[in-house]
Amino acid sequence: MMRSVLLQIAAVTAMNVKSIPQRFWLSLSTVVAVALVVMVLLTFLAMAHGFQRTLASSGADDVAVILRGGSQSEINSTVSREQVQLIEDAPGIARSASGKPLVSSELYLVVDGIKRSSGTKANLPLRGIGLEGAAVRRGITIIEGRMFAPGSNEIVVGKGLTSEFAGFDLGATVTFGTTRWQVVGVFSADGSVFESEIWADLPVVQSLFNRNNFFQTVRVRLENPGAIERLRSYVENDPRLKLDVKSEAVYFAEQASRTTDLIQRLGWPLAIAMALGAVAGALNTMYSSVAARSVEIATLRAIGFGGFPAFVGTLIESLMLALIGGLIGAVATLLAFDGLTTSTLGASFTQVVFSFKLTPSLVAQGVVLALIVGLVGGVFPAVRAARMPIAAGLHA
Amino acid sequence: MNDWMLIGKNLFRKKLRAALMLLSILIAFTIFGVLAAFHKAFTAGEDVAAADRLVTVNKINFTQPLPIAYFNRARGVEGVKQVTHLNWFGGYYQDPRNFLIVMAVEPETYMDVYGADLEFPAGMRRDFITNRTGALVGKAMADRWGWKVGDRVPISSNIFSQKNGSHSWDMTIVGIFDNRTPRLDTNFMVFQYDYFDETRSFGKDMIGWMTIKTTSSSLNDRVAKTVDQMFANSSYETSTDTEKAFNKAFAAQFGNIALIVVLVVGAAFATILMIVGNTMVMAVRERTREIGVLKTLGFPGGRILRLVLGESLLLALLGGLAGIAVATAATMALSRSLANFVPGMAVTPGIVLIAVLLMLGLGVLTGLIPALNAMRLKITTALGRS
Repeated sequence: MMRSVLLQIAAVTAMNVKSIPQRFWLSLSTVVAVALVVMVLLTFLAMAHGFQRTLASSGADDVAVILRGGSQSEINSTVSREQVQLIEDAPGIARSASGKPLVSSELYLVVDGIKRSSGTKANLPLRGIGLEGAAVRRGITIIEGRMFAPGSNEIVVGKGLTSEFAGFDLGATVTFGTTRWQVVGVFSADGSVFESEIWADLPVVQSLFNRNNFFQTVRVRLENPGAIERLRSYVENDPRLKLDVKSEAVYFAEQASRTTDLIQRLGWPLAIAMALGAVAGALNTMYSSVAARSVEIATLRAIGFGGFPAFVGTLIESLMLALIGGLIGAVATLLAFDGLTTSTLGASFTQVVFSFKLTPSLVAQGVVLALIVGLVGGVFPAVRAARMPIAAGLHA
Repeated sequence: MNDWMLIGKNLFRKKLRAALMLLSILIAFTIFGVLAAFHKAFTAGEDVAAADRLVTVNKINFTQPLPIAYFNRARGVEGVKQVTHLNWFGGYYQDPRNFLIVMAVEPETYMDVYGADLEFPAGMRRDFITNRTGALVGKAMADRWGWKVGDRVPISSNIFSQKNGSHSWDMTIVGIFDNRTPRLDTNFMVFQYDYFDETRSFGKDMIGWMTIKTTSSSLNDRVAKTVDQMFANSSYETSTDTEKAFNKAFAAQFGNIALIVVLVVGAAFATILMIVGNTMVMAVRERTREIGVLKTLGFPGGRILRLVLGESLLLALLGGLAGIAVATAATMALSRSLANFVPGMAVTPGIVLIAVLLMLGLGVLTGLIPALNAMRLKITTALGRS
């Protein structure tokens, strides 16, 4: 019994699939519609994921970022020299081989660069750091040239920054106002947001930008991720330290959330609206498919086929068209957008360079959406196929 | 029975099919309407910029400060009608998440420079100039927080602190101003620079940027060049641009939003073009026999063409106009939640006009092939087919 139902389903499905060329253009329009829906969804998701991944890989659990209370991002914060000295004596901070606490006080300024893709001015971060800056962070590697020499007008630039913005090639001279700087090195930072930055020696930046004895953030390497609690209670118990202590991972996750939220909040509603349109297209295609085969369906029913195989056969046709569309959409997104590098204004008011990144789980979300379109677009026509009166079908 | 009735009957002969096509067209135009409104609001800075205003910022970047002395020097340049200076405050109300756009300004010149866009009645003008801790609040911001004239509100800064260590400044609302053009957003406030400068713990005698009003927009280039040359080779070099160019460059920092909008709308339209076009071809082919009968009755080919085209145009207009209506409602709902990011989102008459043109284009494109087929159909073929 079971076997015969399966055989009937196979026969009806084969018949449906073989007759697709008769409705070639209509079936193709369903496939293309679903492909475009999936492409729009996956492009937005790949954008959101790529941005999030860049910021997530920037933050370490065992590095703490210390900012002025309530300032929320590095660009707004100010920290005094006295506060930096108090932090150096705080508990929970890892020490270098020579016994010095791993504390990096930094300046975070915004300078203009020219975006290669549009030729317009864009905000780029110039970070004044000491040599401790690279020691506190992990994964910083000079891939071309060398590190800046302390006390000199030299800068090193992240590799993301040189690819997206003009004028920062190795050996180039860069002018910020009346000051001139030489690019002596390019660094990588495991794909993190630091690759979108320009680094220079802290005292030089302080003096050339009239910010003597002025710091914006302090980064410290913790003994272990749990040590942040000891550091935090030390800061909270000292009235001279009105500062926020966050792990770097938490800090960058907060920075990422606004932009990724916005991209996802645009992407999903758009994809769902387009999916509704595609459902309408799929319904049209499948109703016509059922109508075009009414004689065949009625004939099969007359020779003893049940209604259920007619139902399943129609549904499978619809799901197949949607699946093909979904896969084409995913492949097209992969070819057109995956790995595409771009930049946008991040929460620190400076450009963040990131790449669109498609993952298997995102592709799965796209294929599921495609199958939902196929399911909804197929189920009602399939019911009609199953219920079609034999006599009426034969006279059509 | 006139032609319109025939068109209507033909369109709705298969109600489900017509409804599905209407739905897909409706959705495409909803997407178009919402995205066009978003894009328009996003680039509004360009449209509302005054032709006779220039923005002078530090050449390194607009977040870098300028010395206050520049204010008086710029006022002396020929072709300059008025100059004001502004300083970004990084404001918030009570909680850092309640972000506010707040600027410290020079009161009198501020109202001179922006008086063409914002309404400052004489009484408000006087109160703002004479009240050291006074602040002017835009209508949108006052409505949002329920503030009234005379209210004393503590406004905090995520950048600056007072000499006493506090991050919060007490301000008295001395006026609530409205805009002269509805496109201009009023979700911001301004307060006296002198009060700010005397109390802040660092950055004294520095300003954020200057806005210059020229005597005529034809002098813009000359004024911009003169100002920048005046400060060249100093430790604070400047870069002066028209307000429009400055706003446009700032919007471009977020990325190529226009390209994204065009791609998504293009994808939505490609989808319905295929769906509706194919369905129309099929629907007309089903009626081959009837078209043969109409021709036998003496309907000329041109009239048949008009009947089929009329049907596809009616379909596009019905679905499209409903879509624009949905987009208008959706935009109103969205404009509140996106107020901080893209203020003033709305489906404008210009957007509706483009939408109607798109509807006409869609109607002609989807109807043309079946209409031509129907027109050219030979009676013998039509009636011979079964």
